[in-house]
Amino acid sequence: MTTRTVGTAPVRTDALAKVAGAALYTVDITVPGMLHAAALRSPYPHARIVRVDAERARRQPGVLAVVTGADPAAQRTYGWYIKDQPILAGDKARYAGDIVSAVAAEDPATAMAAVELIDVDYEPLEPLSDVESALRGDAPALFEERPAGTTPRYGRGASGWIHPDKNVCYRFRYHTGDATVMSSCDHVFDDSFSFSAMQHYHLEPFVSLASVTDGVIDVWSSNQSPFSLRRELARLFDRDEDRVRVHVPLVGGAFGAKNGCKAEPVAILLAMQTGRPVRFCMTAAEGFLTQRQHSATLRLRTGVMADGTLIGRDCEVLLDAGAYADASPLVAEKAAYRAPGPYRWQYVDAAASCVLTTTTPAGPFRGFGAPQAAWASESQLDMIAHRLGIDPYDLRVKNLRELGEPYMPGDSAVDSDLRSGLAAVAEALHYHDRPRREALRTQGRGLGLAIGFKDSGGGSKPASARVTVDGDGHVTLRCGTVELGQGAHTALRQIAAEILGIPVDGIDYAPVDTASVPFDQGTYASSSSAVMARAVAEAAIDVRRQVRQALTHRDGKALGDRGRHEDHALPQDWRRLLAGQVFDASGHFEVTPDADAPLGEKCFFWEPGWGGAEVEVDSETGRVRVRRLVVCGDAGRMINPELCHGQESGSAIMGLAQALVEHRMYAHGALATHDPLSYRVTTFTDLPDELDLMVQEQGHGPGPFGAKGYGEGGMLVVAAAIANAVQDAVGARVTDLPLTPERVLHALDQGGSEPSAGAAG
Amino acid sequence: MSRSGIAVSFNLNGRTVQETVPAQQVLADFLIERGVAGVRVSCDQGVCGACTALVDGCPIATCAAFVFQVDGCDVVTVEGLSDSDDLHPMQRSFVDRFAMQCGYCTPGMVLTAVALLNRKPDPSPDDVRRWLAGNVCRCTGYASIVDAVLDAARRRHDLRERT
Ligand code: FES
Ligand code: FES
Repeated sequence: MTTRTVGTAPVRTDALAKVAGAALYTVDITVPGMLHAAALRSPYPHARIVRVDAERARRQPGVLAVVTGADPAAQRTYGWYIKDQPILAGDKARYAGDIVSAVAAEDPATAMAAVELIDVDYEPLEPLSDVESALRGDAPALFEERPAGTTPRYGRGASGWIHPDKNVCYRFRYHTGDATVMSSCDHVFDDSFSFSAMQHYHLEPFVSLASVTDGVIDVWSSNQSPFSLRRELARLFDRDEDRVRVHVPLVGGAFGAKNGCKAEPVAILLAMQTGRPVRFCMTAAEGFLTQRQHSATLRLRTGVMADGTLIGRDCEVLLDAGAYADASPLVAEKAAYRAPGPYRWQYVDAAASCVLTTTTPAGPFRGFGAPQAAWASESQLDMIAHRLGIDPYDLRVKNLRELGEPYMPGDSAVDSDLRSGLAAVAEALHYHDRPRREALRTQGRGLGLAIGFKDSGGGSKPASARVTVDGDGHVTLRCGTVELGQGAHTALRQIAAEILGIPVDGIDYAPVDTASVPFDQGTYASSSSAVMARAVAEAAIDVRRQVRQALTHRDGKALGDRGRHEDHALPQDWRRLLAGQVFDASGHFEVTPDADAPLGEKCFFWEPGWGGAEVEVDSETGRVRVRRLVVCGDAGRMINPELCHGQESGSAIMGLAQALVEHRMYAHGALATHDPLSYRVTTFTDLPDELDLMVQEQGHGPGPFGAKGYGEGGMLVVAAAIANAVQDAVGARVTDLPLTPERVLHALDQGGSEPSAGAAG
Repeated sequence: MSRSGIAVSFNLNGRTVQETVPAQQVLADFLIERGVAGVRVSCDQGVCGACTALVDGCPIATCAAFVFQVDGCDVVTVEGLSDSDDLHPMQRSFVDRFAMQCGYCTPGMVLTAVALLNRKPDPSPDDVRRWLAGNVCRCTGYASIVDAVLDAARRRHDLRERT
């Protein structure tokens, strides 16, 4: 199919502003009379709040309001499936960083100084610093009363429970097939893995500006999902959704962190109290106390035949959810459901529990449970291959699902040829060149592969768009997709431009404002280029139909429209020909519920990732040097190749960060990596010697032109590919992330031997 | 501490600034209050480089500098890189190479890269990585930024050859 705009890389529509310092983010927005907020946070990981005395702070000149947990409005709670996080901690602080009180003042310095004058009496309680201590029989319950919540309607084989046990806020289980097949396996290998947590480290902080006029809440926020946020805020502050208006300018990085309430509730509460607009801009260090990735332990029992045929898998995931449920239940769903990987199984039983601990709440993070699952699954596959004496590449190829085969019974078919990406990565690494590999090993070098596979975020995610043409021929696209840096505003404009036969810069993208753009569930899970793109394409096709009608009317001869995206038979100057006429159309897209599909809806598209690494291990120091990193994905069809490559590169290096560089650390129950200064973030000097990125266009995506979502694959594969390469190089198997020199040395000390394998079944 | 403040005079993007400022006023805050949006504060601890400005040609973290420290200096932010409406060649390369995503790090990256080329007109990829190591980008995975800087160096080189 020939296209004019789709598949090309016109300059990002926001590039000039961004490079000139003229781009507008929430952090830049000020309004006259604006106050500044600052928060008082609990220094204790777990404490009863006996008394909060804010009198001294209230008396400070320049202080307009102080809110505390004693205010009933501050006790309203938010969260995804489970609403357990109060705006301000009430009788209890559940982690060091829990907001206890907040101040609004004329300037930031006065607000920060006033916070210091709030007196709080705490009665420290036993901290639950990790999953192990939270699950001990005699551990105190973080929530004495079971918080309210709902489980979604799952389909075949899946179930979820809210607070099934003390300090477990959610448990998800998926199973299919007959467990007895495990006893007929030649081997059942039982291995455990741990996954460490990173910070999102978005550069624009959590920031919101709120004003309340005549009962209408206006909030500008650095948030990925303005409509979901609007719903949550309307519920929290007890009003109809049309009395909450959310504006989102450009967002300075999100990576999952900017879903749901962050700075908004506190800003709104203070705006209500003072009757003035309030800006709450957290510091980066406060951001570290607000949201993080899920650390996890994963135990896999995998049954195989001696010839490498995979038979069945039991999987138990424990996610450290932190102090509040946040999005943990959704991450649990995904971690468990994705744990089998894209292989053929007769039986799967995968469960994930979210354990509450007195640590920073964990939330969505690029990959959403899939990085945890892929780390364990793809590491274990290599371990199994070594134990059976089969090449890890062959073991994967033997068991991969075919294009067109359902991922699990009742779910949609795999829509990528999974072998072709793996072959491409293997080729780029010269994986099959045996003599070369032998030579590499003599230098402490080795190669490793991994496959990542995640279901799309298309489910429960209705999206709408509107395309209008005014009398002057200006075309405007209105939709709720937020520009986080991924380039969605460019790509969506390209789709509309293609259909309407006009240049990309002939289309304006209306400011994202819930009062003036149609509903969209949110900008997450790399879904914009498939889900929202469908809505945009539908609206644009409708406008094109109207334009043809008008042209037919004008010229008295008919122009056909076969309703296809690429069918651009409009005269180039149609906007001039039809000057004075207006056109307006809406598009909507939604994946329909399906009780037969495990997660309640068939997966809309699958995002695969293939990764490979060549590493060099220094057996004196344990240092792993990545000589070559290869990452490949399938975009279906690239709307904009440069944007796809940018996503690939960003997610590959974030995967590298996970593998080797970054992790949150606690020391004596306190967060040791509590700010940018103490957290080691990945920089230019961490880049691999060579980075090889490949984007396939297999053409099976359900989005316009065959597009899929893109941008998370690298995040799933890099850690396992590197660990597998380390084993190939020096025989040492590291099962904990990150692969620090200490861990590699320790694994080498074990004689480079395998962690003990489970007994034959 | 004196409440009366310190008189400072410096050049900001080609214009003279003469003001009396509190001794403890941070340069980043001062610039942002005066509408210099190309200075972006992220870490506020001198580690991420988002707030970079060139002071007498050297990249510095404005979140970790006081205003009085630039008294008598030449301060350039991304807004002052080019004196016409045209982009500076480094900005051009960043645009052409898609060396940005969210763009929050971009002004700081561009300025640090400009300083590099002034020091070292033909840097190796390794020079670029080392020189820019104080600027964090969470979005791009850095590769496109290295490409953009090398591309700008090449263009400058070609320009010199031709003239
Ligand atoms: S904000 Fe100044 S270095 Fe990060
Ligand atoms: S482009 Fe987002 S931090 Fe660099």
